[in-house]
Amino acid sequence: MGQEVRLADLKAKLKNVIKRSVYVYRVDCGGCNGCEIEIFGAITPVYDAERFGIKVVASPRHADLLLFTGAMTRAMRLPAIRAYQAAPDPKIVVAYGACGCSGGIFHDCYSVWGGADSIFPVDVYIPGCPPTPAATLYGLAVALDLLQQKIKGEQFAETEVTRVVPQYEGVGPELAKEIEQEARRLSGYLHGRRLAAQYLQFVREGDLLAVDRKIKEVIKEEKDPRLAEVFLSLHKIYLEKMERVGRNAG
Amino acid sequence: MLKLLRKALQVGEATVAYPFKPVEVAPGFRGKPVYDFSRCIACGACATACPPNAITMDCDVERGVKSWNINYGRCIFCGRCDEVCPTGAIVLSAEFELAAASKEDLYCRAELKLCKCISCGAYFAPCRELEYVLASLKQAGLPESGHEGWEQILKLCPKCRRRKAGSAAGTFGRAGKVLGGRR
Repeated sequence: MGQEVRLADLKAKLKNVIKRSVYVYRVDCGGCNGCEIEIFGAITPVYDAERFGIKVVASPRHADLLLFTGAMTRAMRLPAIRAYQAAPDPKIVVAYGACGCSGGIFHDCYSVWGGADSIFPVDVYIPGCPPTPAATLYGLAVALDLLQQKIKGEQFAETEVTRVVPQYEGVGPELAKEIEQEARRLSGYLHGRRLAAQYLQFVREGDLLAVDRKIKEVIKEEKDPRLAEVFLSLHKIYLEKMERVGRNAG
Repeated sequence: MLKLLRKALQVGEATVAYPFKPVEVAPGFRGKPVYDFSRCIACGACATACPPNAITMDCDVERGVKSWNINYGRCIFCGRCDEVCPTGAIVLSAEFELAAASKEDLYCRAELKLCKCISCGAYFAPCRELEYVLASLKQAGLPESGHEGWEQILKLCPKCRRRKAGSAAGTFGRAGKVLGGRR
């Protein structure tokens, strides 16, 4: 216990001393190199980590901060331990990337121990697959106590049953499903959902004629022919559906 | 030299002022998946779709809760959960500042109640999911007179429902066949 407290003191002192000159050594414990590329992205002139004195060095003996990237694999754990021992105490240990934090997508592979925290005491986790250069800068700033941590663990519990209404209220689920599926097929889930929501909003607001008029307006004003095409094919589905319903009713 | 300086002044600064000014992320940037507890129906589609098992779901039948858990430290920000969520309860945001000093801060947990079977009293499905199914059925045009009966049927666990269907069939003289088939 006493030793731990002393280590925390030493780390605080270290952070105070290395304020404008942080030497970072990165240890690849078995990653895919995505994280490495982003680390190098962070020291290019665009993000320029060196303006904060953050410098990537070639030897753990020079390092104040160790960046462990990649899942901790069986083959790389000994080199990783050697790098850790070679770095002078006190040092700051950062687990970098999804793999470094918890094994990431490789967490259940036969040769994977888990993240860097399965072997070393980790000070800061930087999640991301890979973390963007901006996330890297933020993470390093958190590790050096320059910025505040933003993310907080959350815990929800249901006390009484709440009602969840379907997303497109007022539109038949069958129609909503067909429209959404077609929109997603044509333009992917992200834009497809937006387009489907926009179209279904028209459906919710008015009857067949109103929808027809609105869609024609939208297509006329739309500069992107691809979007107009998507709207047209959504409209086709709606028209067919209404025709079917009309025939059944008749 | 002067030429170079002029050129440099023309081009301006390429370096972003990130920690001092917010950085602009690209449209469609895949950042932290934000969970909206009030819209989750505990269907588990996200847990099934999640490639690195960052989202997990556990069913505790003893306590009657279904627990949802995401580990941002394992998430690869692929957006599959966002894609499959039927109610939009989990949506990727543009937030990328996720660094945390403790592992606990990387978790988001939720516990949702399970519904008790009105016949045998065993927990079997999330209440919210049943409510959602009923709401969807109503929107699809379930006749007003049938609501009560459907609610009763939805609150039965699959086993009891099968038994009930069997006994209902029995009143029409086919019980022997059904029971015989099961034994």
